[in-house]
Amino acid sequence: METQNLPEDFGQEVYETLKYIIDPEVGINIVDLGLVYQVSLSEEGELVVDMTLTTPGCPMSGTIRTAAEQILLKRFPSLNVKINLVWSPPWSMDMITEEGMRQLERKA
Amino acid sequence: MSAATTSNSPGKWVVLPHYAFAALAFMALGVLLLFSTDAFGGHYFHPKLLTLTHVAALGWATMVIFGALYQLLPVVLECKLYSEKLATAAFGFLGAGTILLAWSFWHFELGWPMHVAACSLVIAFILFNINVAQTARKAPKWTIESDFIVTSAIWLLVTGLVGLLMVVNFTMPFLPVEHTHYLKLHAHIGMAGWFLLLIIGVGAKLIPMFLLAHHEDTKKLNWSYNLINAGLVLFTLDHLLFQTALLPVYAALVVAGVMCFLLYLREAAKTRQRQDIDLGMKQTFVALALLLLPLLLVLVVSSQLALPQSLLSSVYLVYGISVFFGFISALILGQTFKTLPFIVWMHAYEDYVGRFKTPMPKDMYSHTLLRWQNISYLLGFILLVAGVLLRQQQVILGGAIGFTLTSLLYTANVFQMLLHKAHNLKPFTYGNAKSA
Repeated sequence: METQNLPEDFGQEVYETLKYIIDPEVGINIVDLGLVYQVSLSEEGELVVDMTLTTPGCPMSGTIRTAAEQILLKRFPSLNVKINLVWSPPWSMDMITEEGMRQLERKA
Repeated sequence: MSAATTSNSPGKWVVLPHYAFAALAFMALGVLLLFSTDAFGGHYFHPKLLTLTHVAALGWATMVIFGALYQLLPVVLECKLYSEKLATAAFGFLGAGTILLAWSFWHFELGWPMHVAACSLVIAFILFNINVAQTARKAPKWTIESDFIVTSAIWLLVTGLVGLLMVVNFTMPFLPVEHTHYLKLHAHIGMAGWFLLLIIGVGAKLIPMFLLAHHEDTKKLNWSYNLINAGLVLFTLDHLLFQTALLPVYAALVVAGVMCFLLYLREAAKTRQRQDIDLGMKQTFVALALLLLPLLLVLVVSSQLALPQSLLSSVYLVYGISVFFGFISALILGQTFKTLPFIVWMHAYEDYVGRFKTPMPKDMYSHTLLRWQNISYLLGFILLVAGVLLRQQQVILGGAIGFTLTSLLYTANVFQMLLHKAHNLKPFTYGNAKSA
């Protein structure tokens, strides 16, 4: 499936939408936690999100994946949405954004 | 990028009944303790103490561990649970066996009810072992945590089998040595083989995960596994066949193994990104601190020191209390609030996430009740230990009240979560995500 880069504004909108999904354990949104690896648009008009979880086998995997899919479908009803859960590269703390780190520190 | 599978979580009816049963068993334990203050003045082989120990070990600790493990096994082993039906059947046998065994011990009825109870428990342990082993076989990669969990299940079965032999021996004596000799074996392989190994195996994965700490070096965990199992195997063989004076050496091996685990956690904690420690994790750290007490006492009781008999009896009792009412209970009281809210949340909101604003798992229980639960627990534990050491029934009663209060607060919170239903959800409106 061929994919293409998103227009910058649209890509930003996708990321902003995904920020509504909060990791239920950490309490930080999945974008700032660094779980969203890539967002792209296929030639067939399918919005494809590659994302991971903080640990393989996470019991929340199904729920977070569904949440991401549902919120994108609601925000972009004309698009098909596909969420790929990927483990490579494995998630690490380095992937947390500056905003995510600030939120972690604020919780201390 | 390699694709991953979706959630491996089992159905809620596999997991949640275990939490409900365990909470009720903990409440029963508190009430039974209120009526057992007279039992702490002598030997540990006392009907009321045997009842308390088995309600604590089986109805409370093993029950909640079974339930939590069906949820966590897929997390640790990264594959689906082998059979939900086996899990449900094991729950039935464990629940029925525990109730019948508790009744039998309380009334010291050594006939058929106790035999049926012991058989029921062994069946539960066999079913559990099949489920764990078959799930582990499907695991995409084998880790040291898998070793801990699978081995702990085997030790649980051995513990149950020794218990069954002892029950049979009550009515048809055939064992060559006195009953308490096998009771020591039964108790220690249960405490160190089942509870300790299982807790280390799961804790080594979960505690760093909850702290957002990534610690890859598992050498200390390997040492921990080898030392504890070496100590247990040598203790079992020696106790059954030779009865040498090397017990402190075997105890030291187990203690060294636990210390390796604690060092592993300390190293992991150094890399943690989460600075906020919630009440559930605070209670977990209390449990880890309380673990030091039985580690110290196992060296004392295995050394056969020339202590006055009354003091020695009290030390034995405090040793048992420090394991079941101390470390294990403290850990469950904390970890329940790191697991159950997420399990309930997942089942309650999986159809709504992404479309509606949902509460967070931490919003599903009362933090005030939890704070008071942790306080009353610690007070109850201190009073119970002090009362047993001082042989003061009034102080023991104070401890029993503390535990009963703790169990009421805990059960109220657990049932608040178990009965949680999604309602009045508002759909997402798009604006500033930070305010969602």
